[in-house]
Amino acid sequence: MTAAAGPAATGPAGRAQTAAALQSALAAENAAIYGYGVAGAQLGTAARVQALRDWTQHEVARDQLQAMLTSLGVKPVAAQPAYRLPFPVHGTRAAISLAGYLENQVAAAYLGIVALDDSRLRSWGAAQARACALRATTWLGRTVAFPGLASGAGPATARPSASP
Amino acid sequence: MRADLRRRSVLAAAVMTVPLVAAGCKGVGALGTPPEPGPDVAMLRGAIDTEQALIARYRSAMAGSPALSGTLGPLLAQHREHLARLTSMLIEPAGHGASPGTTPSAARTTTAAGSGPAATLAALEAAEAGAARSLASRLTLAPPALAQLMASIAASEASHALLLRTHQAGG
Repeated sequence: MTAAAGPAATGPAGRAQTAAALQSALAAENAAIYGYGVAGAQLGTAARVQALRDWTQHEVARDQLQAMLTSLGVKPVAAQPAYRLPFPVHGTRAAISLAGYLENQVAAAYLGIVALDDSRLRSWGAAQARACALRATTWLGRTVAFPGLASGAGPATARPSASP
Repeated sequence: MRADLRRRSVLAAAVMTVPLVAAGCKGVGALGTPPEPGPDVAMLRGAIDTEQALIARYRSAMAGSPALSGTLGPLLAQHREHLARLTSMLIEPAGHGASPGTTPSAARTTTAAGSGPAATLAALEAAEAGAARSLASRLTLAPPALAQLMASIAASEASHALLLRTHQAGG
Protein backbone atom coordinates (compact mmCIF):
# COMPACT_ATOMS: atom_id res chain seq x y z
CA MET A 1 0.00 0.00 0.00
CA THR A 2 1.22 3.43 -0.87
CA ALA A 3 -1.29 5.41 1.12
CA ALA A 4 1.46 6.46 3.48
CA ALA A 5 2.69 8.71 0.67
CA GLY A 6 0.07 11.13 1.88
CA PRO A 7 -3.63 11.73 1.49
CA ALA A 8 -4.75 14.25 -1.08
CA ALA A 9 -7.35 16.11 0.93
CA THR A 10 -9.07 18.89 -0.95
CA GLY A 11 -10.20 21.97 0.91
CA PRO A 12 -10.23 22.67 4.63
CA ALA A 13 -13.44 20.70 5.26
CA GLY A 14 -12.24 17.60 3.44
CA ARG A 15 -8.92 17.94 5.14
CA ALA A 16 -10.50 18.10 8.60
CA GLN A 17 -12.69 15.12 7.79
CA THR A 18 -9.70 13.17 6.56
CA ALA A 19 -7.68 14.04 9.63
CA ALA A 20 -10.52 13.02 11.95
CA ALA A 21 -10.94 9.64 10.25
CA LEU A 22 -7.21 8.99 10.31
CA GLN A 23 -6.99 9.97 13.98
CA SER A 24 -9.83 7.61 14.87
CA ALA A 25 -8.09 4.77 13.08
CA LEU A 26 -4.83 5.65 14.79
CA ALA A 27 -6.51 5.69 18.21
CA ALA A 28 -8.03 2.27 17.45
CA GLU A 29 -4.65 0.93 16.36
CA ASN A 30 -3.02 2.27 19.52
CA ALA A 31 -5.63 0.51 21.64
CA ALA A 32 -5.25 -2.71 19.62
CA ILE A 33 -1.49 -2.68 20.06
CA TYR A 34 -1.98 -2.39 23.80
CA GLY A 35 -4.67 -5.09 23.76
CA TYR A 36 -2.52 -7.52 21.81
CA GLY A 37 0.15 -7.11 24.44
CA VAL A 38 -2.37 -8.09 27.11
CA ALA A 39 -3.67 -11.00 25.03
CA GLY A 40 -0.21 -12.27 24.15
CA ALA A 41 0.71 -12.61 27.81
CA GLN A 42 -2.19 -15.05 28.27
CA LEU A 43 -1.44 -17.25 25.29
CA GLY A 44 0.61 -20.37 24.79
CA THR A 45 3.64 -20.44 22.54
CA ALA A 46 1.97 -21.09 19.17
CA ALA A 47 -0.83 -18.59 19.70
CA ARG A 48 1.62 -16.06 21.07
CA VAL A 49 3.55 -16.24 17.80
CA GLN A 50 0.33 -15.46 15.98
CA ALA A 51 -0.40 -12.59 18.38
CA LEU A 52 3.08 -11.21 17.80
CA ARG A 53 2.60 -11.34 14.05
CA ASP A 54 -0.75 -9.52 14.28
CA TRP A 55 0.66 -7.04 16.78
CA THR A 56 3.40 -6.22 14.29
CA GLN A 57 0.85 -5.66 11.53
CA HIS A 58 -0.98 -3.20 13.74
CA GLU A 59 2.27 -1.41 14.46
CA VAL A 60 2.96 -1.07 10.75
CA ALA A 61 -0.53 0.35 10.21
CA ARG A 62 -0.05 2.71 13.14
CA ASP A 63 3.18 3.98 11.60
CA GLN A 64 1.45 4.53 8.27
CA LEU A 65 -1.38 6.46 9.90
CA GLN A 66 1.08 8.61 11.83
CA ALA A 67 2.94 9.39 8.61
CA MET A 68 -0.28 10.28 6.79
CA LEU A 69 -1.35 12.63 9.58
CA THR A 70 2.05 14.25 9.71
CA SER A 71 1.93 14.84 5.96
CA LEU A 72 -1.39 16.61 6.51
CA GLY A 73 0.28 18.85 9.09
CA VAL A 74 -1.70 17.25 11.90
CA LYS A 75 -0.18 15.98 15.12
CA PRO A 76 -0.94 12.25 15.45
CA VAL A 77 -2.92 11.32 18.54
CA ALA A 78 -0.70 9.74 21.18
CA ALA A 79 -1.20 6.28 22.64
CA GLN A 80 -2.52 6.09 26.19
CA PRO A 81 -0.27 4.46 28.76
CA ALA A 82 -3.06 1.95 29.48
CA TYR A 83 -6.55 1.09 28.24
CA ARG A 84 -9.56 -0.29 30.03
CA LEU A 85 -10.35 -3.66 28.52
CA PRO A 86 -13.91 -4.55 27.44
CA PHE A 87 -13.91 -7.61 29.74
CA PRO A 88 -11.48 -9.31 32.12
CA VAL A 89 -8.76 -11.12 30.23
CA HIS A 90 -7.61 -14.17 32.15
CA GLY A 91 -6.72 -17.29 30.23
CA THR A 92 -6.52 -18.36 26.62
CA ARG A 93 -10.18 -18.16 25.77
CA ALA A 94 -10.56 -14.56 26.95
CA ALA A 95 -7.32 -13.59 25.22
CA ILE A 96 -8.61 -14.95 21.92
CA SER A 97 -11.94 -13.20 22.41
CA LEU A 98 -10.07 -9.97 23.06
CA ALA A 99 -8.12 -10.35 19.81
CA GLY A 100 -11.36 -10.86 17.89
CA TYR A 101 -12.94 -7.89 19.63
CA LEU A 102 -9.98 -5.63 18.89
CA GLU A 103 -10.00 -6.55 15.23
CA ASN A 104 -13.66 -5.66 14.85
CA GLN A 105 -13.12 -2.33 16.58
CA VAL A 106 -10.19 -1.48 14.35
CA ALA A 107 -12.19 -2.54 11.29
CA ALA A 108 -14.92 -0.12 12.36
CA ALA A 109 -12.41 2.70 12.48
CA TYR A 110 -11.13 1.85 9.01
CA LEU A 111 -14.67 2.00 7.64
CA GLY A 112 -14.55 5.65 8.68
CA ILE A 113 -11.72 6.07 6.19
CA VAL A 114 -13.75 4.23 3.54
CA ALA A 115 -16.35 7.02 3.82
CA LEU A 116 -13.84 9.67 2.71
CA ASP A 117 -13.85 11.07 -0.83
CA ASP A 118 -10.20 10.26 -1.56
CA SER A 119 -10.36 7.04 -3.57
CA ARG A 120 -6.84 5.99 -2.64
CA LEU A 121 -7.61 6.32 1.05
CA ARG A 122 -10.90 4.51 0.56
CA SER A 123 -9.19 1.55 -1.02
CA TRP A 124 -6.56 1.51 1.67
CA GLY A 125 -9.18 1.68 4.43
CA ALA A 126 -11.11 -1.17 2.80
CA ALA A 127 -7.94 -3.27 2.55
CA GLN A 128 -7.20 -2.62 6.21
CA ALA A 129 -10.75 -3.54 7.24
CA ARG A 130 -10.35 -6.74 5.22
CA ALA A 131 -7.09 -7.53 7.00
CA CYS A 132 -8.84 -7.04 10.34
CA ALA A 133 -11.62 -9.44 9.32
CA LEU A 134 -9.10 -12.07 8.22
CA ARG A 135 -7.20 -11.82 11.51
CA ALA A 136 -10.43 -12.04 13.49
CA THR A 137 -11.45 -15.15 11.56
CA THR A 138 -8.08 -16.74 12.16
CA TRP A 139 -8.48 -16.13 15.90
CA LEU A 140 -12.12 -17.04 16.30
CA GLY A 141 -12.51 -19.72 13.63
CA ARG A 142 -15.71 -18.08 12.42
CA THR A 143 -16.86 -15.16 10.34
CA VAL A 144 -19.35 -12.34 10.72
CA ALA A 145 -21.67 -10.82 8.13
CA PHE A 146 -20.57 -7.22 8.66
CA PRO A 147 -17.05 -6.75 10.01
CA GLY A 148 -16.76 -3.30 11.53
CA LEU A 149 -20.47 -2.57 11.24
CA ALA A 150 -22.99 -3.02 14.01
CA SER A 151 -25.20 -5.88 12.86
CA GLY A 152 -28.63 -4.61 11.92
CA ALA A 153 -27.73 -0.95 12.39
CA GLY A 154 -25.65 1.63 10.64
CA PRO A 155 -21.88 1.78 10.56
CA ALA A 156 -20.30 1.57 13.94
CA THR A 157 -18.88 4.85 15.06
CA ALA A 158 -15.16 4.70 14.91
CA ARG A 159 -13.88 4.58 18.43
CA PRO A 160 -10.87 3.20 20.19
CA SER A 161 -11.15 -0.44 21.08
CA ALA A 162 -10.73 0.28 24.72
CA SER A 163 -11.20 3.36 26.83
CA PRO A 164 -8.16 5.04 28.27
CA MET B 1 -29.63 5.91 -18.78
CA ARG B 2 -33.21 6.50 -19.85
CA ALA B 3 -34.10 2.99 -18.82
CA ASP B 4 -32.60 3.77 -15.44
CA LEU B 5 -34.81 6.83 -15.12
CA ARG B 6 -37.88 4.82 -15.99
CA ARG B 7 -37.02 2.32 -13.32
CA ARG B 8 -37.29 5.11 -10.79
CA SER B 9 -35.02 3.30 -8.45
CA VAL B 10 -33.87 5.28 -5.52
CA LEU B 11 -30.81 4.67 -3.50
CA ALA B 12 -31.62 5.33 0.12
CA ALA B 13 -28.23 6.67 1.01
CA ALA B 14 -29.32 7.62 4.50
CA VAL B 15 -30.44 4.11 5.35
CA MET B 16 -27.18 3.27 7.00
CA THR B 17 -27.51 5.95 9.61
CA VAL B 18 -31.26 5.82 10.03
CA PRO B 19 -32.05 2.15 9.53
CA LEU B 20 -35.37 2.11 11.34
CA VAL B 21 -36.78 4.96 9.33
CA ALA B 22 -35.62 3.43 6.09
CA ALA B 23 -36.94 0.01 7.01
CA GLY B 24 -40.35 1.56 7.39
CA CYS B 25 -40.22 3.22 4.00
CA LYS B 26 -41.58 0.85 1.41
CA GLY B 27 -42.11 3.51 -1.22
CA VAL B 28 -40.49 6.65 -2.42
CA GLY B 29 -43.46 8.83 -1.48
CA ALA B 30 -42.33 9.23 2.08
CA LEU B 31 -39.05 10.65 0.88
CA GLY B 32 -40.61 13.27 -1.38
CA THR B 33 -39.34 13.74 -4.91
CA PRO B 34 -37.11 10.84 -5.74
CA PRO B 35 -33.63 11.82 -6.78
CA GLU B 36 -32.53 10.66 -10.20
CA PRO B 37 -30.97 7.25 -10.01
CA GLY B 38 -27.28 7.38 -10.64
CA PRO B 39 -24.51 4.89 -11.22
CA ASP B 40 -24.73 3.98 -7.54
CA VAL B 41 -28.05 2.24 -8.20
CA ALA B 42 -26.41 0.12 -10.88
CA MET B 43 -23.61 -0.62 -8.45
CA LEU B 44 -26.10 -1.64 -5.79
CA ARG B 45 -27.92 -3.87 -8.25
CA GLY B 46 -24.64 -5.48 -9.21
CA ALA B 47 -23.87 -6.22 -5.57
CA ILE B 48 -27.36 -7.63 -5.06
CA ASP B 49 -26.96 -9.87 -8.11
CA THR B 50 -23.65 -11.14 -6.78
CA GLU B 51 -25.18 -12.02 -3.41
CA GLN B 52 -28.06 -13.82 -5.08
CA ALA B 53 -25.60 -15.80 -7.17
CA LEU B 54 -23.57 -16.72 -4.09
CA ILE B 55 -26.70 -17.79 -2.23
CA ALA B 56 -27.66 -20.01 -5.17
CA ARG B 57 -24.16 -21.50 -5.17
CA TYR B 58 -24.32 -22.31 -1.48
CA ARG B 59 -27.76 -23.87 -1.76
CA SER B 60 -26.59 -26.00 -4.63
CA ALA B 61 -23.42 -26.99 -2.79
CA MET B 62 -25.33 -27.96 0.34
CA ALA B 63 -27.82 -29.96 -1.70
CA GLY B 64 -24.97 -31.79 -3.42
CA SER B 65 -22.87 -32.29 -0.29
CA PRO B 66 -25.15 -32.47 2.76
CA ALA B 67 -22.14 -33.31 4.93
CA LEU B 68 -20.91 -29.75 4.39
CA SER B 69 -24.05 -28.16 5.81
CA GLY B 70 -22.44 -27.49 9.19
CA THR B 71 -19.64 -25.58 7.51
CA LEU B 72 -21.63 -23.84 4.82
CA GLY B 73 -24.84 -23.06 6.70
CA PRO B 74 -23.47 -20.12 8.72
CA LEU B 75 -21.82 -18.66 5.62
CA LEU B 76 -25.07 -18.93 3.66
CA ALA B 77 -26.88 -17.18 6.51
CA GLN B 78 -24.40 -14.32 6.34
CA HIS B 79 -24.93 -13.97 2.61
CA ARG B 80 -28.64 -13.68 3.28
CA GLU B 81 -27.83 -10.88 5.71
CA HIS B 82 -25.71 -9.20 3.04
CA LEU B 83 -28.56 -9.46 0.56
CA ALA B 84 -31.11 -8.10 3.03
CA ARG B 85 -28.94 -5.11 3.91
CA LEU B 86 -28.15 -4.32 0.28
CA THR B 87 -31.78 -4.69 -0.74
CA SER B 88 -32.86 -2.38 2.06
CA MET B 89 -30.80 0.37 0.43
CA LEU B 90 -32.73 0.04 -2.80
CA ILE B 91 -36.20 1.53 -2.55
CA GLU B 92 -38.47 1.05 -5.49
CA PRO B 93 -42.12 1.71 -6.31
CA ALA B 94 -44.69 -0.96 -5.54
CA GLY B 95 -45.03 -3.56 -8.25
CA HIS B 96 -41.35 -3.56 -9.02
CA GLY B 97 -39.54 -6.08 -6.93
CA ALA B 98 -36.34 -4.90 -5.31
CA SER B 99 -34.63 -8.07 -6.39
CA PRO B 100 -35.42 -8.71 -10.03
CA GLY B 101 -33.73 -11.44 -11.93
CA THR B 102 -33.84 -14.00 -9.18
CA THR B 103 -31.90 -16.29 -11.43
CA PRO B 104 -28.71 -14.30 -11.89
CA SER B 105 -26.29 -15.49 -14.48
CA ALA B 106 -23.78 -16.88 -12.02
CA ALA B 107 -26.48 -19.05 -10.48
CA ARG B 108 -26.55 -21.07 -13.65
CA THR B 109 -22.97 -22.09 -13.11
CA THR B 110 -23.48 -23.35 -9.60
CA THR B 111 -22.34 -26.85 -10.31
CA ALA B 112 -18.90 -27.11 -8.78
CA ALA B 113 -16.12 -27.98 -11.12
CA GLY B 114 -15.16 -31.51 -10.33
CA SER B 115 -17.02 -33.36 -7.64
CA GLY B 116 -16.88 -34.11 -3.96
CA PRO B 117 -16.69 -31.87 -0.92
CA ALA B 118 -13.13 -30.71 -1.56
CA ALA B 119 -13.96 -29.48 -5.04
CA THR B 120 -17.12 -27.86 -3.72
CA LEU B 121 -15.20 -25.98 -1.03
CA ALA B 122 -12.56 -24.89 -3.54
CA ALA B 123 -15.20 -23.60 -5.95
CA LEU B 124 -16.97 -21.66 -3.20
CA GLU B 125 -13.66 -20.24 -2.00
CA ALA B 126 -12.93 -18.95 -5.49
CA ALA B 127 -16.42 -17.46 -5.76
CA GLU B 128 -16.08 -15.70 -2.40
CA ALA B 129 -12.67 -14.31 -3.25
CA GLY B 130 -13.94 -13.08 -6.60
CA ALA B 131 -16.96 -11.40 -5.03
CA ALA B 132 -14.77 -9.70 -2.43
CA ARG B 133 -12.36 -8.43 -5.08
CA SER B 134 -15.20 -7.15 -7.22
CA LEU B 135 -16.76 -5.19 -4.36
CA ALA B 136 -13.42 -3.79 -3.27
CA SER B 137 -12.62 -2.58 -6.76
CA ARG B 138 -15.94 -0.76 -7.17
CA LEU B 139 -16.43 0.86 -3.79
CA THR B 140 -14.35 3.93 -4.65
CA LEU B 141 -17.21 5.11 -6.87
CA ALA B 142 -20.00 4.59 -4.35
CA PRO B 143 -21.59 7.13 -2.00
CA PRO B 144 -19.97 6.95 1.46
CA ALA B 145 -22.57 4.81 3.25
CA LEU B 146 -22.74 2.30 0.41
CA ALA B 147 -18.94 2.25 0.16
CA GLN B 148 -18.76 1.32 3.85
CA LEU B 149 -21.29 -1.45 3.41
CA MET B 150 -19.47 -2.76 0.34
CA ALA B 151 -16.15 -2.71 2.20
CA SER B 152 -17.66 -4.58 5.14
CA ILE B 153 -19.27 -7.20 2.91
CA ALA B 154 -16.04 -7.56 0.95
CA ALA B 155 -14.19 -8.13 4.23
CA SER B 156 -16.79 -10.70 5.26
CA GLU B 157 -16.49 -12.55 1.96
CA ALA B 158 -12.70 -12.51 2.09
CA SER B 159 -12.94 -14.11 5.53
CA HIS B 160 -15.40 -16.68 4.13
CA ALA B 161 -12.77 -17.57 1.55
CA LEU B 162 -10.20 -17.94 4.31
CA LEU B 163 -12.47 -20.19 6.34
CA LEU B 164 -13.28 -22.35 3.31
CA ARG B 165 -9.57 -22.70 2.58
CA THR B 166 -8.98 -23.71 6.19
CA HIS B 167 -11.62 -26.41 5.91
CA GLN B 168 -9.99 -27.77 2.76
CA ALA B 169 -6.64 -27.95 4.51
CA GLY B 170 -8.26 -29.62 7.48
CA GLY B 171 -9.78 -32.33 5.27
